[in-house]
Amino acid sequence: MPKLTIDGREVEVAARTNLIEAARAAGIAIPYFCYHPYMTVVGQCRICMVEIEGQPRLALGCATSATDGMVVKAETSERAKEAREAVMEFLLANHPLDCPVCDQAGECLLQDHSMREQRGTFTSHMAETRRTFPGYERRLLGPHIVQNQNRCIHCSRCIRFTSEISETAALTYKSRGNSMFIDTFSGEAFDDPMSACAADVCPVGALTVREFRFRKRAWKLRSTPSICPGCSIGCNIFIDHHEREVHRFTPRENPAINATWLCDYGRFLADSLNEQTYLYPQHRKAGRLVRAGWSEALAALALEVRAARPLRVVASANLSNEALFLARELFGHHLRGDLVVPVTTGEQRRMKNGRGEWLQATDPYPNSLGARRLGLNVVDGDGLSRFLYGGSGLTLILDAEAHPFLAGAEALQLLRVGATAVWLRREHPLAGVAGWLLPAASLASDEGTFTASTGAVQHFAAAFSPPGTVRRMPTGAMSPECPTIASPWGPPGEARPLWLVLTALARELGASNLDLASPAEVFTLMARTERAFAGLEWEPLGGLQRDESLRERQHVG
Amino acid sequence: MTTCPLVVAPPETTANVTFDKTMDDRIGEVMRRYPTRRAALLPVLWLCQERFGWISPGVISAVAERLGDSPAFVDGVVSFYTMYHTSPPARYVLQVCTTLSCSVCGGRELVEHLKAKLGVGFGEKTPDGSFQLVGVQCLGACGNAPVIQVNDDYYENLTPQRLDAMLDELREGR
Repeated sequence: MPKLTIDGREVEVAARTNLIEAARAAGIAIPYFCYHPYMTVVGQCRICMVEIEGQPRLALGCATSATDGMVVKAETSERAKEAREAVMEFLLANHPLDCPVCDQAGECLLQDHSMREQRGTFTSHMAETRRTFPGYERRLLGPHIVQNQNRCIHCSRCIRFTSEISETAALTYKSRGNSMFIDTFSGEAFDDPMSACAADVCPVGALTVREFRFRKRAWKLRSTPSICPGCSIGCNIFIDHHEREVHRFTPRENPAINATWLCDYGRFLADSLNEQTYLYPQHRKAGRLVRAGWSEALAALALEVRAARPLRVVASANLSNEALFLARELFGHHLRGDLVVPVTTGEQRRMKNGRGEWLQATDPYPNSLGARRLGLNVVDGDGLSRFLYGGSGLTLILDAEAHPFLAGAEALQLLRVGATAVWLRREHPLAGVAGWLLPAASLASDEGTFTASTGAVQHFAAAFSPPGTVRRMPTGAMSPECPTIASPWGPPGEARPLWLVLTALARELGASNLDLASPAEVFTLMARTERAFAGLEWEPLGGLQRDESLRERQHVG
Repeated sequence: MTTCPLVVAPPETTANVTFDKTMDDRIGEVMRRYPTRRAALLPVLWLCQERFGWISPGVISAVAERLGDSPAFVDGVVSFYTMYHTSPPARYVLQVCTTLSCSVCGGRELVEHLKAKLGVGFGEKTPDGSFQLVGVQCLGACGNAPVIQVNDDYYENLTPQRLDAMLDELREGR
């Protein structure tokens, strides 16, 4: 374990740690463009230069390993500062001054470092016109990536990403020297299952994500730590949102699962979080749907579930551990109902972790392992059809999208026999047969934990409160029934996360032990009573997982 | 001495390339000389250029598959080097040295003369496909400047008159 001094701060790091990471451990940020902690070090951009005592030449922070007794001057070295200033001038010589219309502005390393390293001088000795790449300025490189070659600083991060991480080796440098540019083989589309990560690792605006371009300026976005709902791998993400609208998912670093990557399938689920077809609890009276308030709905439901013989509950592997636990305790134990979690097999998804190993999943749910660990009855499509078959009574469907079988004609036929209450967010055939339609909140306004396929219990936070909960804005009173979905006081409606509904229902039913105020309290109860959660605490899961915002932004941005 | 014209394989054979037995053996021979498959890339590309006349996308795919690399990588290498033809070349590729020694010894006049005579600029082919004019950097024959490399042969100590004679000779040789 080498011990070294950087800018007067002593720090001990693991062997073979480079100076950028060692400095980061000491709380010092050395700038970089081409370095990425999960990819090969190439030392191309030359911005990370530092001064090492006893060495006549400046050294590259990314390509120099920390050794015992090393004395490094990074941010305090005048020579290093001068060299970096010169490098910045080189990089900016050909970089277009189009930040105002560039989508990367605000999360651009070149922009950030030019502010920092040029020390406010902003001089250039460049008298010539800038190099341009006509025809490569707004080129669709692949289905999700737009290329602007003029902005490229030739860091080769995207090329290394495709050759080392996604292993398609689809991108390459073409030509050489001043006219070098990024391209695919023979103009083929850059079609890679993780293609948008190439735009993530791009430190500038040369590669941008087509779906996100010009939707929102980066500095307007708020990032909330969450978990990708696309499959059981459980990639860590940030939900980037503004004014209660989700604009994108970006990967959040987790070396054990997704390093700093995210597959295109998961990433582009972001838009689906904004879909909210059902806004209010609705009750079917004489064949017509009538809007009801939650208090009315809960009271009526409480009566119905208490009287139901039998009570059948279809839970879902899309639900958080907290919601599943509440459902099991309330419907299973308290009311003696039957509860199943239907699962199916989906397309294969792959993700590479920080050690370079592929994680695979064909399980399309984020929390089926959580359901199994809670001891719930996990069934396939056939099991679900047997479960729904026969008997009148009441069927609660806690998530309409729990299984494709629920959207089929057979399920609808079976459910017509008894009474049905269904929780749903988007258009679904079940809406045609259910007696109660209850609006569910999206992942963006839910909170809880998912158990990933690796066994890790991972927390997702609420990006914003559910629709309709804000009644007042600093500018004045606002009714929740505002007309536009993009309005600053949020979309209309009364969709609520399931844990909240279930705790309220527990109150109605007199199950006082389940009348809890937050997912954190549910989790604490679960950690006390469930073997699978024993020893886990909410705080470390629920709190900020890392206080290294700079690191996150530097290699994702 | 007569310079041999370049032979370009017909388009149908360069679109989808599969190496025949001889070609495959020769590639295998080259690959044995190198520690890694990737290291054999440049000489294998030379073999292909010799066989097909130029490096078409079809050739790139075939080479990439043979060497276990991605087509994009091979494409990048091909585009880095100027001496791999990425389009079908003319029968005679005239590579005129434009570096210092040749330039001061009459190379510039040669270039002017050639451009006027053939009616093409650098990088272009004559419409009949006989000549292709390419400006190159030092050919390493400064002692006999000005120099033009035609396909694989050097023509040295050139004057516009000698150049005309040379072009006529090449034309007749076709």
